[in-house]
Amino acid sequence: MTDGTFEPDQRLHPTSWLFAVFAFVRQLIVPLAAAAFFGSRDGNPTWLWPVAAVILAAALWKQWFYRYGLGPTGLVIREGLFFRNVRQIDYARIENIDTERSLLHRLLGVAEVRVETSTGGKAEASIQVLGLAAAEELRERVFAARGGEAREHTARKAEDVLLAMSTAEVVKFGLIDNRGLIVVAGVVGFLYEAGVMEVWSAVLRAAVSPELMARLIARGMVIQIALMLIVLLGAVLVLRVLSVALALFTFHGFTLTRVDNDLRTSYGLLTRLSLTLRLQRIQAAHVTQTLLHRVFDRVAVRVDLAGGGASPEAQQQGRGRVRWLAPLAAPNRARELIARALPDVDFTRTTEWQPLSPRAYGRVMRKSAALWSVVGLGFAVMLHALWPFLLIAVGVPISMCYAAMYVRYTRWALQDDALFFRRGWLTRKLVIVPRNRVQVVCLGESPFDRRYRMASLRVDTAGAASPTDQIRIPYLDLEVARELARALETTAAAQTKAAPAEVAGT
Amino acid sequence: MLDQRVDPATVSVWRVETTAIAVFIAFSCAGPLLEDSIVLAVAVFCAVMVISVPLGWWWSKARYERLSYRVDDLGVTIREGVWWWTHKSVPRVRIQHTDVSQGPLQRRYGVATLKLYTAGSRYTKVELEGLRHEDALALRDRLLSKEAQGD
Repeated sequence: MTDGTFEPDQRLHPTSWLFAVFAFVRQLIVPLAAAAFFGSRDGNPTWLWPVAAVILAAALWKQWFYRYGLGPTGLVIREGLFFRNVRQIDYARIENIDTERSLLHRLLGVAEVRVETSTGGKAEASIQVLGLAAAEELRERVFAARGGEAREHTARKAEDVLLAMSTAEVVKFGLIDNRGLIVVAGVVGFLYEAGVMEVWSAVLRAAVSPELMARLIARGMVIQIALMLIVLLGAVLVLRVLSVALALFTFHGFTLTRVDNDLRTSYGLLTRLSLTLRLQRIQAAHVTQTLLHRVFDRVAVRVDLAGGGASPEAQQQGRGRVRWLAPLAAPNRARELIARALPDVDFTRTTEWQPLSPRAYGRVMRKSAALWSVVGLGFAVMLHALWPFLLIAVGVPISMCYAAMYVRYTRWALQDDALFFRRGWLTRKLVIVPRNRVQVVCLGESPFDRRYRMASLRVDTAGAASPTDQIRIPYLDLEVARELARALETTAAAQTKAAPAEVAGT
Repeated sequence: MLDQRVDPATVSVWRVETTAIAVFIAFSCAGPLLEDSIVLAVAVFCAVMVISVPLGWWWSKARYERLSYRVDDLGVTIREGVWWWTHKSVPRVRIQHTDVSQGPLQRRYGVATLKLYTAGSRYTKVELEGLRHEDALALRDRLLSKEAQGD
């Protein structure tokens, strides 16, 4: 289907060339820097100027001949003059229109618009850059063109704020989510590469003279331990502060709004992201609660989106972003938000949690104890010592505790409309998959499972961020697992037939 | 409908494949020993072959015995696995597209692999290996026609 005679006539924002230049430079940064570094030894790198001129010309050229437009059946983008490329994306296939705004974008009042289809992986088209009004208009007109009834909705432009995180909440998120470590690792890596570390160690050697060390050692054990504790405490403190700072940069002003029938999140201090979560594309909800979350009485909620870039290529490009529904919310609020995100699921009923097989405890315990014993025996043989047998002595009670907690906190529940699965004692995770989102059901029987007449059940959905995120219920009685699998495959097929529009990821 | 078996000819394909792998392993075990003594190398080669070839033959047969599939209104169900048994069900409406592929060995024995693609994350591709080529094509067409009816 092509709109043969349709000619796109909309142009990019006048400052687009600037961003095109940045994009070019970013791609060429390594060779350019290397060339500038090695070239600068013999005086001025004069050759840089023609390169800059070529880049500028290419950027201006791109902006000059770039046209987009809303054709009768789809979005049309035309690029280039000599090598002309016309891309048509049907409205029906457009799943998302996301915008990304870095500091520079915001200073100039523009946004980079990404058009995503369900193909998965990277965005189908990236329009760089549009004025804010133009971007909003594009988004509205595309979604209005999708269906007649949606048009009336957009006229009203209903926009409820479902969740707005205050700065205090973002700070809490930073305290809980210990991402400061990533910053430190990154900074250390960078400094090491840059050779700053050697300078630093020289400075340290000069400052901490042998006399100082000797005096420190003379102070005795207690002072040494105290000093070590202070350093440790300081490190923890610095990490938390960094983590809070990072949280403020990424999640500042997080809002979740309802626009028509879709949800939209926007967040970020310098780079502001605006992501649409189309309800039809939401495949599963994940609730995570660590020990620290419980201290603050909060949970974190994510959702999986079909075609949301779970493919390996997308992850390499860093496009496989976590789709937050609420980075941090009170448990009650989170429940309401999930109910909004998964309208097919009835959350008013009490969930009837089912345990694993009664024999699961024994298997988990023996598996864990066996692992401890193997490690202990291995050490004992390797070191010709007796103390590793202590590992076995300690390992058995630990395994018993672990197995008891494992069995106690792993639960599943099957409703008419959804499958619930929760696990974990310290970090508790809950996954909710509407039954009409189930893709493939896989019942697995390992040799051990067969011995105990048990099975594990894996439920595959679209758009999962990582394989560990998905539902895999272990240690089920074989009959229970079979029944559950049968129920899930029946509804996965039946419910989507009733509502073909719901077919996920097609 | 009852569970169906794939074409027994596929056992031959797997046997040739496993024998090839066995030869490769035997060579890589024996190769480094050639410099020291040829007799030892030959002995190791023979020993590896004696163990792995019958294992491969047995495994091919066992795999065939375990492999069965069923196609009904709901979709396709595949049971397989020699040590690790699995039972995968792919609802018909979840099948995005299908491939029928044939390697050179498979072509020699007239068998094919039917690949079912879904939008899932882990099981994006579910393979049914060892169908007769005509059966694979017929099954593909059947799945496609039902898909069209569903819309």
